[in-house]
Amino acid sequence: MEKWLVQHAVGAFLVNENNEVERFEPNPKDIDQAVQEAMVIEGWTRGIKEGTEKVGGLSSAAKRLLENLKEEGFEGTIVFETEGESREASSMGFEVKVVPANDKAIYVRENVAELSVKYGMMESKEEFYDWLHKLTIEVVRRKLRSVAQKRDLLAVHAVRTIDDIDKIINLLIARLREWYSLHFPELDDLVKDHDLYARIVAEIGSRDAMTVERLKELGLKEDLAEKIAEAAKKSTGADLTETDLEQLQKLASIVEDLYSLRRELVDYISYIMKEVAPNVTALVGPVLGARLISLAGSLENLARMPASTIQVLGAEKALFRALRTGGKPPKHGIIFQYPDIHRSPKWQRGKIARALAAKLAIAARTDYFTGRDIGEKLKEELRARIDEIKRVYQKPPKREEKAERKAPPARKRGGRRPPRRKGGKRRGGGRRRK
Amino acid sequence: MALEVVNVYEHPHYPNVYIIELEDGSVRLATKNMVPGKRVYGEKLYQWEGEEYREWNIYRSKLAAALVKGIEELPIKPGDSLLYLGAATGTTPSHISDIIGPEGRLYGVEFAPRVMREFVTLAEERKNIFPILGDARKPREYRHLAEATDGLYADVAQPNQAEIVADNADFFLKDGGYMLMAIKARSVDVTKSPEEVFRREIEILKNRGFEILDIVHLDPFDKDHAMIYARFHRRSKQ
Repeated sequence: MEKWLVQHAVGAFLVNENNEVERFEPNPKDIDQAVQEAMVIEGWTRGIKEGTEKVGGLSSAAKRLLENLKEEGFEGTIVFETEGESREASSMGFEVKVVPANDKAIYVRENVAELSVKYGMMESKEEFYDWLHKLTIEVVRRKLRSVAQKRDLLAVHAVRTIDDIDKIINLLIARLREWYSLHFPELDDLVKDHDLYARIVAEIGSRDAMTVERLKELGLKEDLAEKIAEAAKKSTGADLTETDLEQLQKLASIVEDLYSLRRELVDYISYIMKEVAPNVTALVGPVLGARLISLAGSLENLARMPASTIQVLGAEKALFRALRTGGKPPKHGIIFQYPDIHRSPKWQRGKIARALAAKLAIAARTDYFTGRDIGEKLKEELRARIDEIKRVYQKPPKREEKAERKAPPARKRGGRRPPRRKGGKRRGGGRRRK
Repeated sequence: MALEVVNVYEHPHYPNVYIIELEDGSVRLATKNMVPGKRVYGEKLYQWEGEEYREWNIYRSKLAAALVKGIEELPIKPGDSLLYLGAATGTTPSHISDIIGPEGRLYGVEFAPRVMREFVTLAEERKNIFPILGDARKPREYRHLAEATDGLYADVAQPNQAEIVADNADFFLKDGGYMLMAIKARSVDVTKSPEEVFRREIEILKNRGFEILDIVHLDPFDKDHAMIYARFHRRSKQ
């Protein structure tokens, strides 16, 4: 008696000679786990060299199906499509045969959507295809991630460029405001937004041309446009010629261009980060994620850091000062930018920072070493912990009595340190507590 | 300046392909954009009677060139499932995706990670495109990620492209399913004349169960290229 075992990402099918599915064992529906199974079936492993022969295998569903069959005392031959599958099955004690693209496999592939509904794994064919769509994309992403050579460094440079652009914009806009104020000083106070200020100067230039309609074309709100037009008429600034304004407008349009470049870079960073570090991105967003990688040097470095280091990345100055003087160490470095930290009251920040850093360490390691997608799970767990912190530590802690708290004596810079313990050796540097 | 559209109508011979007439009298091929407002490869978008059409560039897509050269028929219909070998960045797949519509499925196989990065972004926008990063020479490695399909489209530019297509048909193409294959004579054998190469490839396809329905040469749009249209007759394998 022969039976055919056909594997699909959705699960394993056992088909008899009459094209009837006798058994179905589902693979996990959860996309992350389903990707793992799909990789096993294909025989894909991380870091596999291009051109190496892949040895496909049995998914956990297929194994379960075969084990059940064994227990029931099945005697006969099982037909597979690949050598890899058959080898595993024969080591389980089955008689095996290999026929690639056999009729039963075609039958399953022709009806896989209906079958997955029939066996209760999916509600409808639409659900099956939605699921398969997500799965195929995730499988590709997982593979791309492992061939991503130094793509994390692209995000690093992009985010550093953003910081540079911010500095340049600040420098230029300060100059532009001062310069243009010779002509129209009132605008400085009316438009606080730099991007908008630069746009008005670049697009309109002379204050005489600032009509309500023209300003509204640039996307200003009615009342603000009116205020500006009004102020332009009564302005106390000096009159400037076309030639004077031309240089100013050039400067303003460069500032505008820098803003649009900055926006594009943010999009670009999220595109790269989704690919190289999806879990870190899920936790803190693409830009902060890229900043962390930038401070660590690379995703690999970040993945090798303990959570306590990640917590204070970007606050090295404060940290080493604290270590030197024995003062209080910083509670957070760059992760201060995480909204739940800087929006929370001071006494909660340290706790939230610690929880976030711990999750980030897990996320970075997953991104670098396995490439699995556990972002949503980490996010939920972090959310739960933050809610807990907010609940338990609602009120600020009571101030400790000054007398009770003995600050460690400040050490003098460069001076010789007093021996710590009598006769004892100094402990290694690695175990200092912050 | 962009030219004004003066008329848009369905192609008399190829359903779901549209002809756009412009004010200067020239005509363009196009498909209805499934994701309005989005371009895929820098093609022009045209609005007509509340619908958006994407120009189908005959110099960039061999399938479009085959239509212009009058291939027997365009077998791809709304709701079809297709296996597409050599998806690259998704120029032709995007038009097929327009034609098969939200009920259809296109499984796009591509080997090179660099172009796959772009193709995945396309797949995220279009729910009927399923990306597969894999080697078309080894269909068993992605057999669990696709399904049996109504059609097979191949543009792989490999010396043994006919065998590759036949192997994939064995794994995925339904009995009676259609096959469209772009052959590049220069990728098969540079020393032989294109005619000879085409003849040999066709021989291989026939031996593997394909009934050849039409062959069109794609000059002058693609030099030394031809498009083969065939039907697949499945042979039983126990």
